Amino acid sequence: MFFSTLLLAATPAFADEEAAETCLRAKIWDGYTSGFQVRSQTNTTLGAGEHRVYLITLYAGNEYKFLACGDDNASNVDLVLYDAQGNVLITDTSNDREPVLSFIPTMSDTFYLAVHGTRLNGADKKAGVSTAVTYK
Amino acid sequence: MLSKTLLLALTLAACGDESATMPPGAGSVESKPDAATPDLTPALPPAAIAVADLQAQAENIALVPSPAEMQKALEKAGVAGGLSALVQERAFKMDAENKDVVAVRTGVLLADAVLTVKDAPKEKLIERLDKVKLGLAALGAGNDLGAIIDELKNKIANDSVSRDELLKELDELHGATIPEIKYEAGERVVPLLQAGSWLEGSNLVSEAILKAGKPEAANSLLRQPQVAGYFLKYVQVEGADKAPVEVLKQLETTLKKLQEIASKPAMTVEDLTEIKSETSSVLALL
Repeated sequence: MFFSTLLLAATPAFADEEAAETCLRAKIWDGYTSGFQVRSQTNTTLGAGEHRVYLITLYAGNEYKFLACGDDNASNVDLVLYDAQGNVLITDTSNDREPVLSFIPTMSDTFYLAVHGTRLNGADKKAGVSTAVTYK
Repeated sequence: MLSKTLLLALTLAACGDESATMPPGAGSVESKPDAATPDLTPALPPAAIAVADLQAQAENIALVPSPAEMQKALEKAGVAGGLSALVQERAFKMDAENKDVVAVRTGVLLADAVLTVKDAPKEKLIERLDKVKLGLAALGAGNDLGAIIDELKNKIANDSVSRDELLKELDELHGATIPEIKYEAGERVVPLLQAGSWLEGSNLVSEAILKAGKPEAANSLLRQPQVAGYFLKYVQVEGADKAPVEVLKQLETTLKKLQEIASKPAMTVEDLTEIKSETSSVLALL
């Protein structure tokens, strides 16, 4: 008991990008049943309040779904889509670690997709976060 | 010595119990919520990021559209026929000494495989996947990727997978699995591979639009100055002294022209003809 307590106290807050990717791949695979295909999928590690920004090209007429999964260290992961001028187009309002945004652009252009580690299960933790751009 | 050990053990034991060290009401260390229990904390959206920061921080890993995505957009723009019938035979050597060229060739062949997956004869599809596998191996990809491609080839040969299922498998291979070769083959391989797929896609899209006589569709399908700029920057800065001179020169010329055309408010038939001609010139040199 003492040693397990000791071990828990000494365990660092490792991010688990693999767990996040496994979660996301299942969602990508589910998306195929409704006609969505994947353009790209990428993993990263985020601290509390940190974010990553991805530049993306979207085609007019195609329907896009942006998906993310955080690992067990994540409590709330958010996605925000911006246009090329930096205006916020859509923001994820869910309070969980598996956000989804849907978007149909009216013109082909470049956009910015930001993924935020809004809240983690501990200030000292890092979360593995996997993000995908899917389309149909 | 014994008292020091005891002191250390007691200190660590105390650290293992947060309630013993946290002042009441501090609340800075959140407990991990049970996955089954909904988190009722009000969700506040993250603060907006300034456009200058977006530009400075943006990563390009999701910038380039996939060939299948181009195909979908083409269909939605009302250009009949699709791209599959326009894909040509490519007699690429995948054991070339120059890795940059192999990466671009692999990208072209991968695009061809994805675009023709629904209607190509199985022998042709297997042949394309064989070359993709050879290309990836030449680039330094691990055996796992080769095994995945072998499994796909077996399924095709045995007719044990539908073409719809195969599209999913190839799509995931192209969009999610192959980008991971950067850890084995190096960072520059992925953009070069993407460049090959994108050039092939742009070449076929421009041809399809010209054949359909719908030049207005080009405005929503081929206006991607940021993509051309990304590859151009890469060729100018990263590619110098790497690829053979003639390929590099033609690639740079083509990307500059594509960037220039894509920046116009509207494209004309002449612009489309030039995109077709320029991308064909690069593909011919590979």
